[in-house]
Amino acid sequence: MNKKFIITTVILLSLTWMFLDDLVEDWGQIESAPERLETFFNEDLWPPDWSVLEAEEWADGTLHKPDGELCTEDYEFFCSKAWTGMVITIKMAFISTLIGFMISVPIASLAASNLAPLPIAIPARVILAGLRSLPSIIWALLFAIALGFGPLPGILAMTLYTIGYLGKLQYEAIEGIANAPLESAMAMGLTHSERLVHVVIPESSNDLLSQLMFMFEYNVRHGTVLGLVGAGGIGMYIDNYINPPFAYDKAFALLIVVFVVVVIIDLISMFVRSYVIEDGDVKRPKWWTVLLPAGIAADYYKKFRAKDSDESE
Amino acid sequence: MKDEHTLTEKDDSEHKTESGVLELRNLAVGYDEALISEINVKIKPGETIAILGPSGIGKTTLLRTIAGLIRPLDGEIIHDFPKRSGIGYIPQRLGLVRHSSVRSNVALGARTRKPSWYPAILPLGRELNNDIDSALESLNIQDLSTNPVRILSGGQQRRVAIARSLIQRPKLILADEFLGELDTENVNSIIKATKSLISEIEATLIMVEHHEERAQEIADRIWRIKDGKLFEDGE
Repeated sequence: MNKKFIITTVILLSLTWMFLDDLVEDWGQIESAPERLETFFNEDLWPPDWSVLEAEEWADGTLHKPDGELCTEDYEFFCSKAWTGMVITIKMAFISTLIGFMISVPIASLAASNLAPLPIAIPARVILAGLRSLPSIIWALLFAIALGFGPLPGILAMTLYTIGYLGKLQYEAIEGIANAPLESAMAMGLTHSERLVHVVIPESSNDLLSQLMFMFEYNVRHGTVLGLVGAGGIGMYIDNYINPPFAYDKAFALLIVVFVVVVIIDLISMFVRSYVIEDGDVKRPKWWTVLLPAGIAADYYKKFRAKDSDESE
Repeated sequence: MKDEHTLTEKDDSEHKTESGVLELRNLAVGYDEALISEINVKIKPGETIAILGPSGIGKTTLLRTIAGLIRPLDGEIIHDFPKRSGIGYIPQRLGLVRHSSVRSNVALGARTRKPSWYPAILPLGRELNNDIDSALESLNIQDLSTNPVRILSGGQQRRVAIARSLIQRPKLILADEFLGELDTENVNSIIKATKSLISEIEATLIMVEHHEERAQEIADRIWRIKDGKLFEDGE
Protein backbone atom coordinates (compact mmCIF):
# COMPACT_ATOMS: atom_id res chain seq x y z
CA MET A 1 0.00 0.00 0.00
CA ASN A 2 2.68 2.47 1.05
CA LYS A 3 4.98 1.39 -1.74
CA LYS A 4 2.22 1.89 -4.32
CA PHE A 5 1.47 5.30 -2.88
CA ILE A 6 5.11 6.39 -3.10
CA ILE A 7 5.48 5.12 -6.68
CA THR A 8 2.25 6.87 -7.78
CA THR A 9 3.33 10.12 -6.12
CA VAL A 10 6.79 9.97 -7.75
CA ILE A 11 5.25 9.29 -11.19
CA LEU A 12 2.75 12.16 -10.84
CA LEU A 13 5.42 14.59 -9.65
CA SER A 14 7.78 13.57 -12.47
CA LEU A 15 5.01 14.10 -15.02
CA THR A 16 4.24 17.53 -13.54
CA TRP A 17 7.89 18.51 -13.77
CA MET A 18 8.19 17.22 -17.34
CA PHE A 19 5.11 19.16 -18.47
CA LEU A 20 6.27 22.30 -16.70
CA ASP A 21 9.75 22.13 -18.15
CA ASP A 22 8.25 21.57 -21.58
CA LEU A 23 5.95 24.60 -21.34
CA VAL A 24 8.23 27.13 -19.66
CA GLU A 25 11.08 28.27 -21.89
CA ASP A 26 12.64 31.06 -19.88
CA TRP A 27 13.17 30.20 -16.20
CA GLY A 28 15.02 33.50 -15.82
CA GLN A 29 11.59 35.20 -15.62
CA ILE A 30 11.29 34.03 -12.02
CA GLU A 31 14.44 35.80 -10.84
CA SER A 32 13.18 39.36 -11.36
CA ALA A 33 9.56 38.55 -10.49
CA PRO A 34 9.59 39.44 -6.75
CA GLU A 35 11.19 42.78 -7.47
CA ARG A 36 8.66 43.67 -10.18
CA LEU A 37 5.79 42.55 -7.97
CA GLU A 38 7.07 44.64 -5.08
CA THR A 39 7.30 47.74 -7.28
CA PHE A 40 3.77 47.17 -8.62
CA PHE A 41 2.40 46.62 -5.12
CA ASN A 42 4.09 49.70 -3.61
CA GLU A 43 3.49 52.10 -6.48
CA ASP A 44 0.08 51.08 -7.79
CA LEU A 45 -1.84 48.98 -5.26
CA TRP A 46 -0.88 50.18 -1.81
CA PRO A 47 -2.51 51.93 -0.05
CA PRO A 48 -5.97 51.04 -1.40
CA ASP A 49 -7.96 54.10 -2.39
CA TRP A 50 -10.99 53.98 -0.11
CA SER A 51 -12.75 56.76 -1.99
CA VAL A 52 -14.72 53.91 -3.61
CA LEU A 53 -16.62 53.75 -0.32
CA GLU A 54 -17.83 57.32 -0.78
CA ALA A 55 -20.36 58.95 -3.08
CA GLU A 56 -19.12 60.99 -6.03
CA GLU A 57 -18.89 64.67 -5.30
CA TRP A 58 -19.77 66.83 -8.26
CA ALA A 59 -18.39 70.32 -8.95
CA ASP A 60 -21.45 71.97 -7.37
CA GLY A 61 -20.73 70.12 -4.10
CA THR A 62 -23.67 67.69 -4.37
CA LEU A 63 -23.22 63.95 -3.77
CA HIS A 64 -24.22 61.47 -6.46
CA LYS A 65 -24.54 57.74 -7.03
CA PRO A 66 -22.32 56.16 -9.73
CA ASP A 67 -25.23 56.32 -12.22
CA GLY A 68 -25.51 60.10 -11.71
CA GLU A 69 -28.61 59.99 -9.50
CA LEU A 70 -28.58 62.43 -6.56
CA CYS A 71 -27.59 60.75 -3.29
CA THR A 72 -30.46 61.00 -0.79
CA GLU A 73 -29.29 58.28 1.62
CA ASP A 74 -28.49 59.08 5.25
CA TYR A 75 -25.07 57.52 4.87
CA GLU A 76 -22.86 58.44 1.94
CA PHE A 77 -21.56 54.85 1.81
CA PHE A 78 -24.89 53.65 0.37
CA CYS A 79 -24.27 55.84 -2.70
CA SER A 80 -20.70 54.57 -3.22
CA LYS A 81 -19.46 52.45 -6.10
CA ALA A 82 -18.54 49.66 -3.67
CA TRP A 83 -22.06 49.44 -2.22
CA THR A 84 -24.13 49.96 -5.39
CA GLY A 85 -21.85 47.66 -7.41
CA MET A 86 -21.81 44.96 -4.76
CA VAL A 87 -25.60 45.08 -4.34
CA ILE A 88 -26.10 44.58 -8.10
CA THR A 89 -23.53 41.76 -8.13
CA ILE A 90 -25.15 40.03 -5.13
CA LYS A 91 -28.62 40.36 -6.68
CA MET A 92 -27.35 38.90 -9.96
CA ALA A 93 -25.61 36.06 -8.15
CA PHE A 94 -28.68 35.38 -5.98
CA ILE A 95 -31.06 35.14 -8.94
CA SER A 96 -28.69 33.03 -11.05
CA THR A 97 -27.83 30.67 -8.20
CA LEU A 98 -31.43 30.08 -7.17
CA ILE A 99 -32.82 29.59 -10.69
CA GLY A 100 -29.78 27.51 -11.62
CA PHE A 101 -30.28 25.35 -8.51
CA MET A 102 -33.96 24.75 -9.24
CA ILE A 103 -33.16 23.62 -12.78
CA SER A 104 -30.03 21.64 -11.91
CA VAL A 105 -31.61 19.43 -9.20
CA PRO A 106 -34.05 17.65 -11.54
CA ILE A 107 -31.37 17.29 -14.25
CA ALA A 108 -28.88 15.97 -11.68
CA SER A 109 -31.47 13.43 -10.51
CA LEU A 110 -31.68 12.15 -14.08
CA ALA A 111 -27.87 12.08 -14.36
CA ALA A 112 -27.28 10.11 -11.14
CA SER A 113 -26.65 6.47 -11.90
CA ASN A 114 -28.38 5.29 -8.72
CA LEU A 115 -31.62 7.04 -9.69
CA ALA A 116 -31.84 6.78 -13.46
CA PRO A 117 -30.84 4.10 -15.99
CA LEU A 118 -27.79 4.79 -18.19
CA PRO A 119 -29.76 5.65 -21.38
CA ILE A 120 -31.23 8.60 -19.43
CA ALA A 121 -28.21 9.38 -17.25
CA ILE A 122 -25.76 9.75 -20.13
CA PRO A 123 -27.72 12.40 -22.12
CA ALA A 124 -28.38 14.31 -18.87
CA ARG A 125 -24.64 14.29 -18.15
CA VAL A 126 -23.87 15.46 -21.68
CA ILE A 127 -26.24 18.43 -21.21
CA LEU A 128 -24.56 19.37 -17.91
CA ALA A 129 -21.09 18.98 -19.41
CA GLY A 130 -22.10 21.14 -22.37
CA LEU A 131 -23.37 23.91 -20.12
CA ARG A 132 -20.24 23.98 -18.04
CA SER A 133 -17.68 23.53 -20.79
CA LEU A 134 -18.17 27.16 -21.81
CA PRO A 135 -16.91 29.42 -19.02
CA SER A 136 -19.52 31.89 -17.80
CA ILE A 137 -17.55 34.76 -19.31
CA ILE A 138 -18.03 33.27 -22.80
CA TRP A 139 -21.75 32.76 -22.12
CA ALA A 140 -21.88 36.39 -20.97
CA LEU A 141 -20.17 37.49 -24.16
CA LEU A 142 -22.70 35.56 -26.27
CA PHE A 143 -25.64 37.01 -24.34
CA ALA A 144 -24.13 40.50 -24.41
CA ILE A 145 -23.95 40.23 -28.22
CA ALA A 146 -27.53 38.99 -28.39
CA LEU A 147 -29.14 41.22 -25.74
CA GLY A 148 -26.77 44.14 -25.31
CA PHE A 149 -24.93 45.20 -22.16
CA GLY A 150 -26.40 45.18 -18.64
CA PRO A 151 -27.20 42.75 -15.82
CA LEU A 152 -29.51 40.48 -17.88
CA PRO A 153 -26.80 38.82 -20.03
CA GLY A 154 -24.77 38.40 -16.84
CA ILE A 155 -27.67 36.71 -15.06
CA LEU A 156 -28.36 34.37 -17.98
CA ALA A 157 -24.68 33.49 -18.32
CA MET A 158 -24.31 32.73 -14.63
CA THR A 159 -27.56 30.73 -14.58
CA LEU A 160 -26.44 28.46 -17.42
CA TYR A 161 -23.02 27.95 -15.92
CA THR A 162 -24.60 27.30 -12.50
CA ILE A 163 -26.81 24.56 -13.97
CA GLY A 164 -23.79 22.83 -15.53
CA TYR A 165 -21.47 23.20 -12.57
CA LEU A 166 -23.94 22.62 -9.76
CA GLY A 167 -25.59 19.76 -11.65
CA LYS A 168 -22.31 17.86 -11.75
CA LEU A 169 -21.62 18.40 -8.05
CA GLN A 170 -25.20 17.39 -7.27
CA TYR A 171 -25.30 14.12 -9.19
CA GLU A 172 -22.02 13.13 -7.60
CA ALA A 173 -23.47 13.94 -4.16
CA ILE A 174 -26.62 11.97 -5.01
CA GLU A 175 -24.56 8.98 -6.12
CA GLY A 176 -22.78 9.13 -2.77
CA ILE A 177 -25.87 8.79 -0.57
CA ALA A 178 -26.58 5.57 1.32
CA ASN A 179 -28.17 2.91 -0.84
CA ALA A 180 -30.51 1.44 1.77
CA PRO A 181 -33.12 4.26 1.87
CA LEU A 182 -33.23 4.36 -1.92
CA GLU A 183 -33.65 0.60 -2.18
CA SER A 184 -36.43 0.62 0.39
CA ALA A 185 -38.18 3.38 -1.52
CA MET A 186 -37.82 1.43 -4.78
CA ALA A 187 -39.12 -1.77 -3.22
CA MET A 188 -42.08 0.18 -1.80
CA GLY A 189 -42.91 1.29 -5.34
CA LEU A 190 -42.22 5.02 -4.94
CA THR A 191 -41.78 6.95 -8.18
CA HIS A 192 -38.63 8.75 -9.34
CA SER A 193 -39.95 12.15 -8.25
CA GLU A 194 -41.08 10.80 -4.85
CA ARG A 195 -37.64 9.30 -4.29
CA LEU A 196 -36.01 12.57 -5.31
CA VAL A 197 -38.15 14.80 -3.09
CA HIS A 198 -38.49 12.57 -0.02
CA VAL A 199 -35.29 10.50 0.02
CA VAL A 200 -32.53 12.01 -2.10
CA ILE A 201 -32.94 15.69 -1.21
CA PRO A 202 -33.16 15.14 2.57
CA GLU A 203 -30.32 12.59 2.51
CA SER A 204 -27.99 14.83 0.56
CA SER A 205 -29.23 18.09 2.08
CA ASN A 206 -25.90 18.88 3.68
CA ASP A 207 -24.04 18.51 0.39
CA LEU A 208 -26.73 20.30 -1.61
CA LEU A 209 -26.78 23.25 0.77
CA SER A 210 -23.03 23.50 0.92
CA GLN A 211 -22.83 23.38 -2.89
CA LEU A 212 -25.59 25.95 -3.18
CA MET A 213 -23.77 28.34 -0.85
CA PHE A 214 -20.48 27.67 -2.61
CA MET A 215 -22.11 28.40 -5.96
CA PHE A 216 -23.57 31.64 -4.61
CA GLU A 217 -20.14 32.66 -3.39
CA TYR A 218 -18.63 31.58 -6.74
CA ASN A 219 -21.21 33.63 -8.62
CA VAL A 220 -20.51 36.68 -6.47
CA ARG A 221 -16.80 36.30 -7.18
CA HIS A 222 -17.52 35.62 -10.82
CA GLY A 223 -19.94 38.51 -11.05
CA THR A 224 -16.86 40.65 -10.64
CA VAL A 225 -15.34 39.03 -13.73
CA LEU A 226 -18.54 39.28 -15.74
CA GLY A 227 -18.43 43.04 -15.31
CA LEU A 228 -15.57 42.89 -17.76
CA VAL A 229 -18.01 42.09 -20.57
CA GLY A 230 -20.37 44.82 -19.50
CA ALA A 231 -22.62 42.55 -17.46
CA GLY A 232 -22.92 45.18 -14.72
CA GLY A 233 -22.19 45.08 -11.00
CA ILE A 234 -18.99 45.68 -9.10
CA GLY A 235 -16.98 43.99 -11.86
CA MET A 236 -17.81 46.81 -14.23
CA TYR A 237 -16.19 49.33 -11.87
CA ILE A 238 -13.17 47.09 -11.36
CA ASP A 239 -12.89 46.81 -15.13
CA ASN A 240 -12.99 50.61 -15.43
CA TYR A 241 -10.14 50.95 -12.94
CA ILE A 242 -7.81 48.36 -14.47
CA ASN A 243 -8.10 49.99 -17.89
CA PRO A 244 -6.64 53.36 -18.87
CA PRO A 245 -6.52 55.70 -17.04
CA PHE A 246 -5.35 53.07 -14.56
CA ALA A 247 -6.46 53.29 -10.91
CA TYR A 248 -5.22 50.01 -9.46
CA ASP A 249 -5.47 51.34 -5.91
CA LYS A 250 -9.25 51.80 -6.36
CA ALA A 251 -9.60 48.39 -8.01
CA PHE A 252 -7.66 46.92 -5.08
CA ALA A 253 -10.06 48.56 -2.59
CA LEU A 254 -13.03 47.06 -4.47
CA LEU A 255 -11.34 43.63 -4.47
CA ILE A 256 -10.98 43.88 -0.68
CA VAL A 257 -14.72 44.61 -0.51
CA VAL A 258 -15.38 41.47 -2.59
CA PHE A 259 -13.13 39.47 -0.25
CA VAL A 260 -15.07 40.67 2.80
CA VAL A 261 -18.38 39.73 1.17
CA VAL A 262 -17.06 36.26 0.26
CA VAL A 263 -15.97 35.72 3.88
CA ILE A 264 -19.43 36.76 5.09
CA ILE A 265 -21.11 34.33 2.65
CA ASP A 266 -18.81 31.55 3.87
CA LEU A 267 -19.83 32.32 7.43
CA ILE A 268 -23.53 32.26 6.55
CA SER A 269 -22.93 28.96 4.75
CA MET A 270 -21.50 27.38 7.89
CA PHE A 271 -24.45 28.55 9.95
CA VAL A 272 -26.99 27.26 7.43
CA ARG A 273 -25.29 23.89 7.17
CA SER A 274 -25.02 23.50 10.93
CA TYR A 275 -28.77 22.87 10.97
CA VAL A 276 -28.67 19.81 8.72
CA ILE A 277 -25.21 18.37 9.17
CA GLU A 278 -24.86 14.90 10.72
CA ASP A 279 -25.18 15.12 14.51
CA GLY A 280 -24.26 18.80 14.38
CA ASP A 281 -20.68 18.32 13.14
CA VAL A 282 -20.38 22.04 12.65
CA LYS A 283 -22.47 23.43 15.44
CA ARG A 284 -22.67 27.21 15.54
CA PRO A 285 -19.02 27.89 14.71
CA LYS A 286 -17.36 31.10 15.80
CA TRP A 287 -17.21 33.72 13.03
CA TRP A 288 -13.43 34.05 13.02
CA THR A 289 -12.90 30.36 12.19
CA VAL A 290 -13.67 31.32 8.57
CA LEU A 291 -10.30 33.02 8.44
CA LEU A 292 -8.34 30.02 9.77
CA PRO A 293 -6.41 27.62 7.53
CA ALA A 294 -8.38 24.38 7.02
CA GLY A 295 -6.21 22.22 9.32
CA ILE A 296 -6.38 24.55 12.28
CA ALA A 297 -10.12 25.08 11.76
CA ALA A 298 -10.65 21.28 11.75
CA ASP A 299 -8.80 20.95 15.08
CA TYR A 300 -10.90 23.75 16.47
CA TYR A 301 -14.12 22.01 15.40
CA LYS A 302 -13.02 18.78 17.06
CA LYS A 303 -12.41 20.57 20.36
CA PHE A 304 -15.63 22.47 19.94
CA ARG A 305 -17.60 19.27 19.32
CA ALA A 306 -16.00 17.47 22.26
CA LYS A 307 -16.85 20.37 24.54
CA ASP A 308 -20.35 20.51 23.17
CA SER A 309 -21.06 16.80 23.70
CA ASP A 310 -19.64 16.99 27.25
CA GLU A 311 -22.06 19.77 28.01
CA SER A 312 -25.02 17.89 26.58
CA GLU A 313 -24.21 14.85 28.73
CA MET B 1 -55.69 0.65 12.44
CA LYS B 2 -58.76 0.60 10.25
CA ASP B 3 -58.18 -0.69 6.76
CA GLU B 4 -60.17 1.30 4.25
CA HIS B 5 -57.67 2.45 1.70
CA THR B 6 -55.52 -0.06 -0.05
CA LEU B 7 -56.83 -3.16 -1.69
CA THR B 8 -60.47 -3.71 -2.38
CA GLU B 9 -62.55 -6.49 -0.83
CA LYS B 10 -62.37 -8.27 -4.15
CA ASP B 11 -58.60 -8.19 -4.07
CA ASP B 12 -58.54 -9.58 -0.54
CA SER B 13 -60.85 -12.43 -1.37
CA GLU B 14 -58.68 -13.25 -4.37
CA HIS B 15 -55.64 -13.54 -2.08
CA LYS B 16 -57.41 -16.01 0.13
CA THR B 17 -58.93 -18.18 -2.57
CA GLU B 18 -56.49 -18.26 -5.45
CA SER B 19 -52.76 -18.82 -5.61
CA GLY B 20 -52.00 -17.14 -2.28
CA VAL B 21 -50.06 -14.00 -1.74
CA LEU B 22 -46.80 -15.06 -3.30
CA GLU B 23 -45.42 -17.92 -5.30
CA LEU B 24 -41.81 -18.57 -6.23
CA ARG B 25 -41.55 -20.93 -9.20
CA ASN B 26 -38.26 -22.60 -9.98
CA LEU B 27 -36.52 -19.44 -8.82
CA ALA B 28 -32.74 -19.02 -8.98
CA VAL B 29 -31.20 -16.02 -7.27
CA GLY B 30 -27.69 -14.59 -7.26
CA TYR B 31 -25.59 -12.04 -9.05
CA ASP B 32 -23.41 -13.72 -11.69
CA GLU B 33 -23.80 -17.23 -10.38
CA ALA B 34 -26.81 -18.67 -8.60
CA LEU B 35 -26.51 -18.62 -4.81
CA ILE B 36 -29.81 -20.45 -4.33
CA SER B 37 -31.65 -22.29 -7.07
CA GLU B 38 -34.78 -24.37 -7.70
CA ILE B 39 -36.85 -22.50 -5.15
CA ASN B 40 -40.47 -23.61 -5.36
CA VAL B 41 -42.72 -22.28 -2.63
CA LYS B 42 -46.20 -20.90 -2.09
CA ILE B 43 -46.96 -18.48 0.68
CA LYS B 44 -50.45 -17.85 2.05
CA PRO B 45 -51.66 -14.49 3.31
CA GLY B 46 -50.86 -13.80 6.95
CA GLU B 47 -48.03 -16.32 7.25
CA THR B 48 -44.77 -15.45 8.98
CA ILE B 49 -41.69 -17.06 7.51
CA ALA B 50 -38.16 -16.95 8.88
CA ILE B 51 -35.17 -17.67 6.65
CA LEU B 52 -32.21 -19.17 8.49
CA GLY B 53 -28.70 -19.94 7.32
CA PRO B 54 -25.11 -18.87 7.76
CA SER B 55 -23.82 -15.49 6.48
CA GLY B 56 -23.10 -15.09 2.77
CA ILE B 57 -25.34 -17.95 1.72
CA GLY B 58 -27.83 -15.80 -0.20
CA LYS B 59 -30.59 -14.95 2.29
CA THR B 60 -30.42 -11.21 1.63
CA THR B 61 -30.12 -11.82 -2.13
CA LEU B 62 -33.32 -13.89 -2.02
CA LEU B 63 -35.12 -11.13 -0.14
CA ARG B 64 -33.85 -8.45 -2.54
CA THR B 65 -34.94 -10.54 -5.50
CA ILE B 66 -38.46 -10.93 -4.09
CA ALA B 67 -38.48 -7.15 -3.44
CA GLY B 68 -37.79 -6.61 -7.14
CA LEU B 69 -34.39 -5.01 -6.58
CA ILE B 70 -32.45 -7.75 -8.39
CA ARG B 71 -33.57 -9.69 -11.44
CA PRO B 72 -33.97 -13.42 -10.83
CA LEU B 73 -31.41 -15.54 -12.70
CA ASP B 74 -34.13 -18.01 -13.54
CA GLY B 75 -37.76 -18.79 -12.72
CA GLU B 76 -40.66 -16.57 -11.76
CA ILE B 77 -41.99 -14.57 -8.84
CA ILE B 78 -45.78 -14.45 -8.96
CA HIS B 79 -47.82 -12.20 -6.74
CA ASP B 80 -51.33 -10.84 -7.04
CA PHE B 81 -50.90 -7.49 -5.35
CA PRO B 82 -49.86 -4.15 -6.79
CA LYS B 83 -46.15 -3.28 -6.74
CA ARG B 84 -46.89 0.15 -5.27
CA SER B 85 -47.74 -0.23 -1.58
CA GLY B 86 -47.87 -4.02 -1.89
CA ILE B 87 -44.35 -4.64 -0.57
CA GLY B 88 -42.87 -3.23 2.62
CA TYR B 89 -39.11 -3.65 2.68
CA ILE B 90 -36.92 -3.27 5.77
CA PRO B 91 -33.27 -3.83 4.83
CA GLN B 92 -30.51 -4.68 7.31
CA ARG B 93 -29.63 -1.03 7.79
CA LEU B 94 -33.35 -0.19 7.95
CA GLY B 95 -33.25 2.18 4.96
CA LEU B 96 -34.59 5.17 6.86
CA VAL B 97 -34.01 8.71 5.65
CA ARG B 98 -31.67 9.77 8.43
CA HIS B 99 -32.02 13.52 8.00
CA SER B 100 -35.82 13.45 7.91
CA SER B 101 -38.09 13.39 10.93
CA VAL B 102 -39.76 10.24 12.25
CA ARG B 103 -43.05 11.48 10.87
CA SER B 104 -41.64 12.16 7.39
CA ASN B 105 -40.22 8.65 7.28
CA VAL B 106 -43.56 7.10 8.16
CA ALA B 107 -45.25 9.46 5.71
CA LEU B 108 -43.07 7.97 2.98
CA GLY B 109 -44.85 4.65 3.52
CA ALA B 110 -48.25 6.37 3.59
CA ARG B 111 -47.46 8.07 0.27
CA THR B 112 -47.55 4.69 -1.48
CA ARG B 113 -51.28 4.62 -0.78
CA LYS B 114 -51.72 7.61 -3.06
CA PRO B 115 -51.75 6.85 -6.80
CA SER B 116 -48.35 7.07 -8.50
CA TRP B 117 -49.40 10.14 -10.48
CA TYR B 118 -50.03 12.09 -7.25
CA PRO B 119 -47.41 14.91 -7.21
CA ALA B 120 -44.52 14.23 -4.83
CA ILE B 121 -44.53 17.74 -3.42
CA LEU B 122 -48.21 17.79 -2.41
CA PRO B 123 -49.21 16.98 1.20
CA LEU B 124 -50.89 13.67 1.98
CA GLY B 125 -54.23 14.91 3.25
CA ARG B 126 -56.03 14.56 6.56
CA GLU B 127 -57.05 10.91 6.29
CA LEU B 128 -53.54 9.60 5.74
CA ASN B 129 -52.16 12.00 8.35
CA ASN B 130 -54.57 10.54 10.90
CA ASP B 131 -53.37 7.09 9.93
CA ILE B 132 -49.77 8.21 10.44
CA ASP B 133 -50.70 9.42 13.92
CA SER B 134 -52.23 6.09 14.84
CA ALA B 135 -49.26 4.17 13.35
CA LEU B 136 -46.87 6.25 15.48
CA GLU B 137 -49.02 5.57 18.51
CA SER B 138 -49.26 1.83 17.96
CA LEU B 139 -45.47 1.60 17.93
CA ASN B 140 -45.15 4.02 20.82
CA ILE B 141 -43.05 6.58 18.94
CA GLN B 142 -45.58 9.42 18.86
CA ASP B 143 -43.42 11.56 21.17
CA LEU B 144 -40.46 11.28 18.79
CA SER B 145 -42.51 12.40 15.80
CA THR B 146 -40.52 15.55 15.02
CA ASN B 147 -37.07 14.18 15.87
CA PRO B 148 -34.67 13.43 13.02
CA VAL B 149 -34.17 9.69 12.71
CA ARG B 150 -30.39 9.95 13.03
CA ILE B 151 -30.58 10.86 16.71
CA LEU B 152 -32.79 7.89 17.68
CA SER B 153 -31.60 4.72 19.38
CA GLY B 154 -31.41 1.42 17.47
CA GLY B 155 -34.69 0.21 18.98
CA GLN B 156 -36.53 3.42 18.17
CA GLN B 157 -35.23 3.38 14.59
CA ARG B 158 -36.54 -0.16 14.17
CA ARG B 159 -39.96 0.95 15.36
CA VAL B 160 -39.92 3.75 12.76
CA ALA B 161 -38.97 1.29 10.01
CA ILE B 162 -41.81 -1.04 11.05
CA ALA B 163 -44.32 1.84 11.21
CA ARG B 164 -43.23 2.94 7.73
CA SER B 165 -43.84 -0.54 6.34
CA LEU B 166 -47.11 -1.18 8.13
CA ILE B 167 -48.72 2.11 7.15
CA GLN B 168 -48.47 1.00 3.52
CA ARG B 169 -50.97 -1.77 4.41
CA PRO B 170 -48.71 -4.05 2.42
CA LYS B 171 -49.53 -7.62 1.52
CA LEU B 172 -45.92 -8.65 1.95
CA ILE B 173 -43.28 -7.38 4.37
CA LEU B 174 -39.68 -8.33 3.71
CA ALA B 175 -37.44 -7.76 6.72
CA ASP B 176 -33.72 -8.43 6.69
CA GLU B 177 -32.47 -9.10 10.23
CA PHE B 178 -34.49 -6.11 11.31
CA LEU B 179 -34.27 -7.00 15.01
CA GLY B 180 -30.49 -6.88 14.82
CA GLU B 181 -28.62 -7.11 18.09
CA LEU B 182 -31.27 -5.47 20.25
CA ASP B 183 -31.66 -6.44 23.90
CA THR B 184 -34.31 -9.04 24.75
CA GLU B 185 -36.73 -6.55 26.29
CA ASN B 186 -36.69 -4.36 23.19
CA VAL B 187 -36.98 -7.36 20.87
CA ASN B 188 -39.96 -8.75 22.76
CA SER B 189 -41.90 -5.50 22.73
CA ILE B 190 -41.15 -4.91 19.03
CA ILE B 191 -42.17 -8.47 18.13
CA LYS B 192 -45.38 -8.16 20.12
CA ALA B 193 -46.36 -4.87 18.47
CA THR B 194 -45.37 -6.05 14.99
CA LYS B 195 -47.23 -9.37 15.22
CA SER B 196 -50.48 -7.80 16.31
CA LEU B 197 -50.31 -5.11 13.64
CA ILE B 198 -49.39 -7.58 10.92
CA SER B 199 -52.29 -9.86 11.81
CA GLU B 200 -54.62 -6.83 11.68
CA ILE B 201 -53.76 -6.18 8.05
CA GLU B 202 -53.26 -9.87 7.18
CA ALA B 203 -49.81 -9.23 5.76
CA THR B 204 -47.26 -11.92 5.09
CA LEU B 205 -43.89 -11.44 6.75
CA ILE B 206 -40.73 -12.96 5.35
CA MET B 207 -37.79 -12.27 7.59
CA VAL B 208 -34.14 -13.15 7.51
CA GLU B 209 -33.08 -14.10 11.01
CA HIS B 210 -29.83 -15.17 12.64
CA HIS B 211 -31.25 -16.29 15.97
CA GLU B 212 -32.74 -19.79 15.77
CA GLU B 213 -34.78 -19.39 18.97
CA ARG B 214 -36.19 -16.04 17.95
CA ALA B 215 -37.14 -17.46 14.55
CA GLN B 216 -38.88 -20.46 16.15
CA GLU B 217 -40.81 -18.13 18.41
CA ILE B 218 -42.02 -15.72 15.75
CA ALA B 219 -42.41 -17.72 12.57
CA ASP B 220 -45.10 -20.11 11.34
CA ARG B 221 -42.71 -21.61 8.79
CA ILE B 222 -38.95 -21.83 8.74
CA TRP B 223 -36.84 -21.97 5.59
CA ARG B 224 -33.25 -23.10 5.79
CA ILE B 225 -30.70 -22.56 3.08
CA LYS B 226 -28.07 -25.22 2.61
CA ASP B 227 -25.84 -26.12 -0.34
CA GLY B 228 -27.59 -23.61 -2.64
CA LYS B 229 -31.04 -25.08 -2.00
CA LEU B 230 -33.98 -23.99 0.13
CA PHE B 231 -35.47 -26.48 2.57
CA GLU B 232 -38.50 -26.04 4.74
CA ASP B 233 -38.71 -27.38 8.29
CA GLY B 234 -41.17 -30.24 8.52
CA GLU B 235 -41.00 -31.13 4.82
